[in-house]
Amino acid sequence: MKRYAYYLSCINESMTKELDRSIDLWQKDLDMELIKLHESTCCGGSNLEYVSPKHFALVNARNIAHAEKLGLDLVVSCNTCLMTIRTAKKKLDESPDLKREVNELLKKEGLEYKGTSEVRHLLWVLIEDVGLDVIKSKVKVPLKNFTIAPFYGCHILRPSTVLGKDNPLDPSSLDQLIEALGGTTIPYEHKNRCCGFHTLLVAEEESLNVAAEALAEAIESKADFIVTPCPLCHTVLDGYQAKALKQAHINASIPVLHLSEMVGLALGYTKKQLGIQRHIVC
Amino acid sequence: MKPFDIVIVGGGGAGLYAAMEAMKTNPSLNIAVLSKVYPNRSHTSAAQGGANAALANKAKDDTVEMHIFDTIKGSDYLADQDAVDILCSEAPKIIRELDNIGTPWSRLDDNTIAQRPFGGAGRPRCCYCADKTGHTILQTLYEQCLKKGVFFFNEYFSLSLSVNNSRMRGLLAMNMKTGKIEAFPAKTVIFATGGYAKMYWNRSSNAAGNTGDGQAIAYRAGIPLKDMEFVQFHPTGLRKSGLLVTEGARGEGGYLVNKDGERFMARYAPEKMELGPRDLVSRSIETEILQDRGFDSPAGKYIHLDLTHLGAELIKSRLPQIREMSMNFEGVDPIEEPIPVRPTAHYSMGGIDTDNYGRTVMDGVYAAGECACVSVHGANRLGGNSLLDILVFGRIAGHTAAEEAGKFEPGVISPEEIKAKDEELRSFMQSSGHYERYGALREELGQTLALNVGIYREASKISRGMDELSLLKERFKKIRVFDSSDIFNTNLMQVLELQNMLDLAETVAAGALAREESRGSHTRNDFPTRDDEKWHKHTIATLDNGTVKLGQKPVTMGRYELQERTY
Amino acid sequence: MHMTGAAEQHKEEKRDITFRVFRFNPQVDIKPYFDDYTIPVERGITVLRALNYIKEHVDPTVSFRAFCQAGICGSCGMRVNGISKLACTTQVWEELDRCKEPGILKVEPLRNMPPIKDLIVDMDPLVDKMKHYMNWIDSSMPESEMGKKEFLVSEDEFLKYDKATDCILCASCVSECTILRAHKEYVSPAVLLKSYRMNVDSRDTIHDTRLAELVKDHGVWDCTHCYRCQETCVKSIPIMDAIHGIRENALEVRGTKDTSGAKHAEAFMDDIAKKGKLVEATLPFRTNGVLWTVKNLLPMAVKMIMKRRTPPPPPMVKPSKGIKAFREEFREMTEHVKDDQQSHNK
Repeated sequence: MKRYAYYLSCINESMTKELDRSIDLWQKDLDMELIKLHESTCCGGSNLEYVSPKHFALVNARNIAHAEKLGLDLVVSCNTCLMTIRTAKKKLDESPDLKREVNELLKKEGLEYKGTSEVRHLLWVLIEDVGLDVIKSKVKVPLKNFTIAPFYGCHILRPSTVLGKDNPLDPSSLDQLIEALGGTTIPYEHKNRCCGFHTLLVAEEESLNVAAEALAEAIESKADFIVTPCPLCHTVLDGYQAKALKQAHINASIPVLHLSEMVGLALGYTKKQLGIQRHIVC
Repeated sequence: MKPFDIVIVGGGGAGLYAAMEAMKTNPSLNIAVLSKVYPNRSHTSAAQGGANAALANKAKDDTVEMHIFDTIKGSDYLADQDAVDILCSEAPKIIRELDNIGTPWSRLDDNTIAQRPFGGAGRPRCCYCADKTGHTILQTLYEQCLKKGVFFFNEYFSLSLSVNNSRMRGLLAMNMKTGKIEAFPAKTVIFATGGYAKMYWNRSSNAAGNTGDGQAIAYRAGIPLKDMEFVQFHPTGLRKSGLLVTEGARGEGGYLVNKDGERFMARYAPEKMELGPRDLVSRSIETEILQDRGFDSPAGKYIHLDLTHLGAELIKSRLPQIREMSMNFEGVDPIEEPIPVRPTAHYSMGGIDTDNYGRTVMDGVYAAGECACVSVHGANRLGGNSLLDILVFGRIAGHTAAEEAGKFEPGVISPEEIKAKDEELRSFMQSSGHYERYGALREELGQTLALNVGIYREASKISRGMDELSLLKERFKKIRVFDSSDIFNTNLMQVLELQNMLDLAETVAAGALAREESRGSHTRNDFPTRDDEKWHKHTIATLDNGTVKLGQKPVTMGRYELQERTY
Repeated sequence: MHMTGAAEQHKEEKRDITFRVFRFNPQVDIKPYFDDYTIPVERGITVLRALNYIKEHVDPTVSFRAFCQAGICGSCGMRVNGISKLACTTQVWEELDRCKEPGILKVEPLRNMPPIKDLIVDMDPLVDKMKHYMNWIDSSMPESEMGKKEFLVSEDEFLKYDKATDCILCASCVSECTILRAHKEYVSPAVLLKSYRMNVDSRDTIHDTRLAELVKDHGVWDCTHCYRCQETCVKSIPIMDAIHGIRENALEVRGTKDTSGAKHAEAFMDDIAKKGKLVEATLPFRTNGVLWTVKNLLPMAVKMIMKRRTPPPPPMVKPSKGIKAFREEFREMTEHVKDDQQSHNK
């Protein structure tokens, strides 16, 4: 049983609860144990970085330090949290002064940021630690009847200086996982594009245009559903789907699954168990 | 179109400085800048090194006077000393002005503008911004011109001066976006179109567009060109593209090796080896190639610049740009393999003959920058003086034109003239009697120039080259433009550029044949020494009844007497 | 004697490669199409050289821009196998791995700019935006005084804009921009980068005017942080740092008075300070006000509540464990930041 510290993303605690619930169902099947860090705080969501660079460093040093205290890597299942925490880690590792200043404050809680724990996406852990062959061997209900559009989202890929796992403009990791689960992927031009989440409340029209384009391609390609490793992408593509498609004058719909739900389906859990009925489009 | 007070042809450093200065001199003037590319694309951006100015930030004992002497000596005493005086005296002012308007100069520890040593200069006086000096100067000037509201006519290809009884009336140019020929009636025209070294094509480090358009237009309008035979070669250009591999590669310990595996510089400069002066190294490489000790390839003969013995670490840390270029443009990683190189034409000292104020012999027509020949570079230009030249004399030409525009009446350009030009261009598109292809002619032009009017020159070869040029010009009459569309006809533009290069190539060859001496960049095997008695003179080339007519002009002397040029 | 040069000649590998080139001449074509050109290409040839070969030997009507051919002028920006880059610095052989169909390189014009012909797009809208956002230095030196003395500029300041001045305006970032694709009035990454570069230059006097323009609609707050601009930048410029820089500066100088973007960003700070967690359900009306939220999001909110994706108001968010200590650290950091600002102002 491999153990990890698990970061609680704000959105998975509220709007996309089904994401973490699905992981809870199957983690043991894949010989994983994710230990939830109830102490972790909001990462700042790609905004805190410029609102206050120092607070940004502090909160994420603290998030990582909690994992380090357990001696475990920190696993994240939201792209933006992943990118944000990794950005902070990079800054902390590159600046001894900043690290010292932050650790001075963390001392109060008996914490120290050392830089020893990796910050990793759930998708990466599935591929690198569990392994596609093992996953394949555990599949109970192969997704062989499904054609799937893999929507990676931005912050698991870019900036590559911070993420650096997959090709930032032509990724393949999610495609590989889908295939290991028995599914078929479509050649999806929008797979490495943006969902528009981060401007939803600031420039809604633009955001919905962005989302509509990605949805339209998946619909036109006759995909059965879209899968995404990011709950923010999910929120736009599922929650705002009707609005986006209406704006683009498209009369259709397509379900959007979390990565954790797709894995759950292949491992034999039901839609109901996985909470898929909580989606707006299902 | 409403007549302009000043039409500036070319949007590089010289053209933009001229525009900026003209607007400053008289803000009420109606000024247009025509450029065949967006101004920020201009070849000024390729100048990496820097611009010389005796600011004395780095070497406190540097003086304008020393800069003047270095420039005159570097020119092999062919520069006009009064012009050099202006160049070097204005230099500190121009560098500071660029600083004042936002050029991101690199800085010294005391926060003043940084300076570094450069070839042929007695003091470290080259002001720079990392390795992107020309690029940042060009950006700054473009930004300032946008701020001042200069009218830009981007992607306009200039065709000809409209002249009536030796009075200039304006300019004809083709709007690339529409294919239409438009008239620009003007009181004054400033040519700032850059150099002509691209006529050597794959044996040139220049941008594809450095085809001497302004010089050719002026020449065809009867304006004299000066010192056209002087073309500077850089020793190490990449084989396929001619792009420069900077001297740093040899400075770090790179070897020049021929096909027998021999470090041949031992024959030419046993002590300095690969670090000999630029012209000597160029000549040495050329000799190896001519004596069949070079490598052969479809892209021509070359020798090796070998860095492999320096090791991956040094190459990655000290020569990253050279490695990137070599991989991008030759597909060769210098850590693994030697870089294929050969000398490459990269600067034209000659150009439109102007006085120290940018005036040509024709009223209302001015020229500045590499397009002009004042002359401040004489037979050989010093590193760091080319950017300086375009800035100082671009500014002066802009100022002069602004002051003098009031003296001239705006000309009227008749619709007939536009129509005639249009028909001339359309005729290239006719299929009957037109079958020669642009690519073939241009390739042959580059080859014959490199072979016969290249680094080593001699009467028999130059004559052969001139014969070949005549034949190429005959064949050009039958050239075919296959693209008959109006919108962005780059096929037509290339053919017109070739026409300009062919016209200018004749002046280069004629000047090279006439000048029976070796001076600066001009090396004659049959006349291996400098001959001040006969040839301490500028060459003047004028178009006369369709052929080159050569004349001479004295060199303006001053404080410095003729001396042998040794380093 | 140095022997690696041996007498053997440079070996040239060669193979036939197809270039699928986007064609469109608005004068005659109703819609764009692709032409396939198969030519022999040796190792070391760039996409631009291949296009030159096609133009010279196969089809002289293929139209594209090229100038320096050395990666410095920015003329030959185009999309190769779907990604915006410079044709002159792109090796054909390296692209082979990226072909969707084996052996076929797709060459298309940049996106997000009006097409002119084939691979040529209109750059004027970009220049217009550079003008609109005053992408120049308005010097504190009066014109009459210019050239007399230089400004003293520290290395620290130089480093702030050093990378930004690498930009060659090739427009790859413009072509790849998510938001520009969604709205053509968006400022665009290149112009944000240049604006930032001007704003951090101490010689400039119009920082406030420029900033006021940047925080308006279609300005800096519309960026969606997709990082495509930065990832495709041919000069590897960290463009997002510049965008974040402008935002940081805008919050510092102008507070949250301007736009929803600023309020949205501040909300994160507030929530973290209070609960350690983001209160997502209230973000819409904290960003755009109650009226906007009701008008825009009510139907969706109802659906969300019915699906239990969002709780009915008032939202309850459980604070992070150990929030007390955290709050104290956070407050103390605020003191640090205040101290920093004070010493900076001095």
